[in-house]
Amino acid sequence: MTRLETRGAVIGYGGAPIVRGVDVAVPDGQITAIVGPNGCGKSTLLRALVRLLEPSEGTVLLDGDDIHRIPTREVARRVGLLPQAPIAPAGITVKELVARGRTPHQKVLRPWSAADETAVMSALHSTALTEIQDAVVDELSGGQRQRAWIAMALAQDTPLMLLDEPTTYLDIAHQFDVLDLLHRLNNRQQRTIVMVVHDLHQAARYAHHVIAMHDGEVAASGAPAEVFTEDLIRRVFSLEARVLPDPVTGTPLVVPAHGPGGARDHGPDPRPTP
Amino acid sequence: MRILRLGPLGITTHRRTFAVGLALLALLAALLLFALSAGKADIGVLDSLRAAVGIPVGAPADFIVGQVRAPRALTAVLVGAMLGLSGAILQSLTRNPLASPDFIGISMGAGTGAVLTIWLVTASSLWVTAAAAAAGALATAALILALSWRRRGIVPLRLILAGIAVGFVAQATTQYLLTRMDVHDAGNALAWLVGTTTGRTWTHVTVAAIVMAVLAPIVLWNARALRTMEMGEDTARGLGIAVGPARATLAVCSVLLAAGAVAVTGPVGFIALVAPALALRVTRNAGATLIPSALMGATLLLAADQLAQQMPATLQFPVGIFTAVVGAPYLLWLVWRASRGGPA
Repeated sequence: MTRLETRGAVIGYGGAPIVRGVDVAVPDGQITAIVGPNGCGKSTLLRALVRLLEPSEGTVLLDGDDIHRIPTREVARRVGLLPQAPIAPAGITVKELVARGRTPHQKVLRPWSAADETAVMSALHSTALTEIQDAVVDELSGGQRQRAWIAMALAQDTPLMLLDEPTTYLDIAHQFDVLDLLHRLNNRQQRTIVMVVHDLHQAARYAHHVIAMHDGEVAASGAPAEVFTEDLIRRVFSLEARVLPDPVTGTPLVVPAHGPGGARDHGPDPRPTP
Repeated sequence: MRILRLGPLGITTHRRTFAVGLALLALLAALLLFALSAGKADIGVLDSLRAAVGIPVGAPADFIVGQVRAPRALTAVLVGAMLGLSGAILQSLTRNPLASPDFIGISMGAGTGAVLTIWLVTASSLWVTAAAAAAGALATAALILALSWRRRGIVPLRLILAGIAVGFVAQATTQYLLTRMDVHDAGNALAWLVGTTTGRTWTHVTVAAIVMAVLAPIVLWNARALRTMEMGEDTARGLGIAVGPARATLAVCSVLLAAGAVAVTGPVGFIALVAPALALRVTRNAGATLIPSALMGATLLLAADQLAQQMPATLQFPVGIFTAVVGAPYLLWLVWRASRGGPA
């Protein structure tokens, strides 16, 4: 079953289309990872899925309706978004930031409700931020800050959550913190999660469903074990690679087939050596 | 987050913000009482209050308070609030503490529009001036927007630079108009261009009050959208804000508030720049704090006006000059802080 899908979506920023006619369906209650080389259109696709971009051809369907015909606020009650570079207002505290996730549930003259408070406290709890809820976001570590933004998306209380590169700029321990958190949210709260990620290993470990994009089109989609083949890595990333089972989880582990300075050596440096 | 709920109104605010608001209101009330009763004519506080609201108390007070001090003080309060609100919106929309209407040329554009009516219309009414100021301000804002817009939105540095450039053009146009006027009109226009509350009447108060009464509710209605947009356009959209309409509405309100202020007192500098920054500092709010900014603007302008007015006669000067003298060091401080890499 899917609540969110695209049909023949052509998406761009006015010039040549970046995404050229894709059909993707986000499986409900699962974690979907969108992977692909730089510039392949994965973030563009994600932006279209939350109607930040309107396809020039084709449609994005949310619960069977054209997402651009659903009122903005209504979309925000069903699909939450964590953009790539959100801006924290100077001096805002963790709890205030998380509280802003309640925006689509509020009206101009409706006070902060018990439901709002419950959602915020539960989001803080799920992200282990309860202790530091009064800390100023600017002063947090990168990992904590990312958790605060995820908590904001959580407080929005949407069945679907879309995240654009949630692990970028984090060190390896914090990357897995964030991914474990997403896994728990999916597992315990049955939230459907879609994330753009760069690291294939992480995608293979955490996603149930992988969409591999190449040059504006879907190159393959399905379970990680089906998608991550040596042939696909060659086609999509132009990289000779070996796919081994992850020693811990058994999921596909992609490693380059050459050692340092190997396959892609373009010959000696043309500059004369001093 | 210590939150205060004012139940039936559905207003949620921080306790500290609410306390700051109350303190500013009290300060404003005290300043108003002082403005009504202090001066060369010795009129008691109670008498001046009565005279201000139109209860006859006797010959000198009825005129001095009822027709001179009260409209002047209320003009300062309303114009200060308009400037504070206008600046707060603009600074939040552009996420730039330098974006204030007097800085990016919008007030200059309003001034050009208003001076044009002094030149063209022989018996100009304040409403005509206000309309011309609004037209001038909107045209300037549209020009600045066109110059600073690049494919995916406003480029903040371009906005400031384009604003300064367009402001100079507007100022040059105003000066050209002054050279074409007869001496009497030019004198009037010059006196007005300094930015002053002197000689303001109940008509000025009415114009300012109506502009405020129309625009302030629209602004407050969009306050949540404004705060959400500070987190970036994508985040705001993701949270269900219709970014395009909200931003356009708020920008037009900000420009019109600045234009209204210019029409009533002439361009008074720095209030729109300083009031929102001070309001942020004392409320310690994250993001735009509209009502405290308006109250801060009102308090600042009334205080500045009183300081300028209560000087010995030889030292009295228009409030516009006073705000510039006090505001310029603040700007220097802002630049100094930015150059040290702190949050500007």
